[in-house]
Amino acid sequence: MNGKDHALVVESTERLLDVLRDRLNLKGVKEGCGTGDCGACTVIMDGRLVNSCLLLAVQARDKKIITIEGVGTRERVHPVQKAIMKYNAAQCGFCIPAMVLAGKNLLDHNPAPSTEDIKEAISGVLCRCTGYYKLIEAIQEAASEVRGLKR
Amino acid sequence: MTEAALVQKLREAEGLVLIGKRLQRLDALDKVLGVPLYTSDIVPKDALRVKVVRSTVPHAVIKRINTQPAKQMPGVMAVLTAQDIPGINEAYALLPDRPLLASTKVRCQGEAIAVVAANDMQTAEEAADNVTVEYERLPAVTSPVEAMKPDSVRVHDSGNVAKYLKVRKGDVGEGFRQADVIVENTYKTQFQDPTALEPEVGMAWLEKDGSITCVGSMQTPYYVQTGVAKILGVSPDKVRVIQATTGGAFGPKSDEMPVDTCGISALVAQKTGKPAILAYSRQESMIAHTKRHPFVITLKTGAKSDGRLTASEALVVSDTGAYASLGPLVIIRACFHATGPYVVPHVKTDAYCMYTNNTMAGSFRGFGSPQVHFAAECQMDELAKKLDLDPLDLRMKNILRPGTLTATSQLVDEACGLEECAVRAAEAANWRGKRVEFARDSGTFRRGIGMALMYHGNSLGPEGNDYAYVHVLIKPDARVVVRTALTEYGTGAISGLAQVAAETLGLPIDLFELDRPDTASCQETGPTVASRVIVIGGRAAQIAAEKLKEKILTVGGALLRCEPSKLTIKDGLVRHTGDERQAIAFQEVVEECYKRHVSLTETGYYIAPKCDFEPENSQGTTYQQYTYGAVVAEIQVDTELGVVKPLKITVAYDVGRAINPLSLEGQIDGGTIQALGYGLMEQLIHTDGIVVNPTLGDYYIPTSLDIPELQTIIVEYPGPVGPYGAKAMGEPPVDLPAAALANAVAHATGSRVFDLPLTAEKVLLGMKRKP
Repeated sequence: MNGKDHALVVESTERLLDVLRDRLNLKGVKEGCGTGDCGACTVIMDGRLVNSCLLLAVQARDKKIITIEGVGTRERVHPVQKAIMKYNAAQCGFCIPAMVLAGKNLLDHNPAPSTEDIKEAISGVLCRCTGYYKLIEAIQEAASEVRGLKR
Repeated sequence: MTEAALVQKLREAEGLVLIGKRLQRLDALDKVLGVPLYTSDIVPKDALRVKVVRSTVPHAVIKRINTQPAKQMPGVMAVLTAQDIPGINEAYALLPDRPLLASTKVRCQGEAIAVVAANDMQTAEEAADNVTVEYERLPAVTSPVEAMKPDSVRVHDSGNVAKYLKVRKGDVGEGFRQADVIVENTYKTQFQDPTALEPEVGMAWLEKDGSITCVGSMQTPYYVQTGVAKILGVSPDKVRVIQATTGGAFGPKSDEMPVDTCGISALVAQKTGKPAILAYSRQESMIAHTKRHPFVITLKTGAKSDGRLTASEALVVSDTGAYASLGPLVIIRACFHATGPYVVPHVKTDAYCMYTNNTMAGSFRGFGSPQVHFAAECQMDELAKKLDLDPLDLRMKNILRPGTLTATSQLVDEACGLEECAVRAAEAANWRGKRVEFARDSGTFRRGIGMALMYHGNSLGPEGNDYAYVHVLIKPDARVVVRTALTEYGTGAISGLAQVAAETLGLPIDLFELDRPDTASCQETGPTVASRVIVIGGRAAQIAAEKLKEKILTVGGALLRCEPSKLTIKDGLVRHTGDERQAIAFQEVVEECYKRHVSLTETGYYIAPKCDFEPENSQGTTYQQYTYGAVVAEIQVDTELGVVKPLKITVAYDVGRAINPLSLEGQIDGGTIQALGYGLMEQLIHTDGIVVNPTLGDYYIPTSLDIPELQTIIVEYPGPVGPYGAKAMGEPPVDLPAAALANAVAHATGSRVFDLPLTAEKVLLGMKRKP
């Protein structure tokens, strides 16, 4: 979990979302619908985006999970976070932890994404405020920064 | 020079430093880090979880509510019904028609009847399932047009009309006699769900002194304070309300729901002594909260053969559902804007807000304007077709320009950029070229291009007293705090208030911070609705900042031994305008103010001039300023499947003055796509009063894969009210896209869809109907 091991005994019926929020206090994981439609509860599990509201906590055994709390810090934000701030692409902010994770996960796998790649990568996360335009621009800019860092 | 650079140069020429700058919001870092900000993130560990038992039928007498089995379940701490309310069982926005908890009758699906509080959510849900309600079903009326008939089912004893008003200008009979052509059509719109990503949530706890504190997702804390106090039977000063960071709102979070969530939580806290939280599920939210009113609009329009309009007759009927909510105000805006932004010499509009047994409609970004603009703008295209005129040419013959009169006979002032919006949007989209080019498409995929124009009366206008209080204070470390009960729920407008205050004070924006809206520290300031924050709140922020500036310059003058009027604040210094060597650090002046006990806390109050119109015929000044705009939509229709694919949207808005173009574009982007959803896919379907698709799996909102190319043009004709001429821009971006898309589909297929959304089925049926 964000680079640390956690030993937890969970009920067979507990959702991953609830374990993350209530037991590990990772409040950046949001619940927007509980039915896997809005994507606000998205986390990265073994390099893939998953809806934590649709997974049982037991399904996360021995998996590597990244939540927004594991992405950037106040002193050092991730390029995706930095660009979202620059473009005012966080409006109400409720989808933003999931958007950041979707953007980061895309750049982890593909540091030179096309606009279509970005649209595809964030299509599982609904945003009602931005119309997605500034989020896409932000991820594009973050991609060039990531490429610059790698060089 | 690019357009942006040119604008920046003009600003500098006016001496503006920050206004017009693309500034980052002040609340961005916490949001990208996922810091716990929202109500559910900060709930106390020992809080009880609350579940509401809701009506499952659209209209019935409640025969019996059995709470006994639920009460006996382990872990259940309280089961409450109407009889447990110590105060007044009311939770309404405008008309006294709605109980917090229904006890004798239910008038729609989703009405709250009982409340269960338990130690955990699962227990609360199971206990709620164990509350049984026996109903005696009553016939229901679910169409607003049916509800107008004399023999209709009555939703309330007072009758089914929640509000009626009219516009009478000239003599519409004479207008139609002068007409060479007359077009008459009926247009329909649907329930749209606002779908803020954070569903409704509120929590409450008892303080040691017996008072109650509520924290929740909301737009207007003082509405919640009044509402909760009434329910608890205590005076409002015993209820403190704090707005938590709010995950989107779009209107409904100013209506009844925050009173419900905080009121019910407070009731539980009062009964049990424990903190309580009520968080709606998405499904519960989609059924219970207010949504966009469906409208049925019949328009009859007359014109001379050259295209000049002679008369407009409109019957505008809205469905507000079982309770009025803000419906009586929504219908006012709809009624006044029903002709669209055109000069019409003879106008007759009748507007009815009707009760039905559908779920409740209320405030939603646009507030009646998207519905009437959809009808008016489709009607203009139908008229153009009949007259064999290009839709742009027909519009240009009739648009509002300075010196003309609106439907309410308001004189249009110089702050009207409608013509420039229309011309520039059409040029940018290559309107004339594509109109011809797309019409040549044949085969399965055919493109279409359509346009729509709008005007949008700013702020409250006829809806109420339009005032705001904004507090600005300078701390001893020279940081500046902006504090107001106006709320941030996504738009960035509160950061805009800081920007206005920073410009006024001559200080850099990074000295500013925003305080949480809290009834304990902010004066009552009217609702955060109607795109009011910048226009009205901005003026209040400006006034507060001016008062502070005067104090700073007075003390600075004493320190520098010169006239305060010769001083200014610039580059972190208080300095002489004529002699730059005479200067002192801003921080030093602040410290001196504290030493001298000069208070650096100021409150700005602004109230807009009263709208002056004759109420019988609605003639006169209905709004103090207007936002204008033009939208051009390009689409492609699959003529075999009927599917509409948006290709490009071009928008031009007269925003008066762009305070922060970056945030402004954010409003335009998001509003355009929310309205794209309204135009193409969103529809909360009621069948016999029951919502059949209350999930985001069955109710689609646009994803990143649904958005077309978007081109935005900003036009600035400074208005008389807003700071630096700023006009309202929160709501206007949702007014037109659906209409422009509908006109584009009609261009592509040659047949019109008269009701929203433009689903594949309707597009195909329309094409089949075509001769």
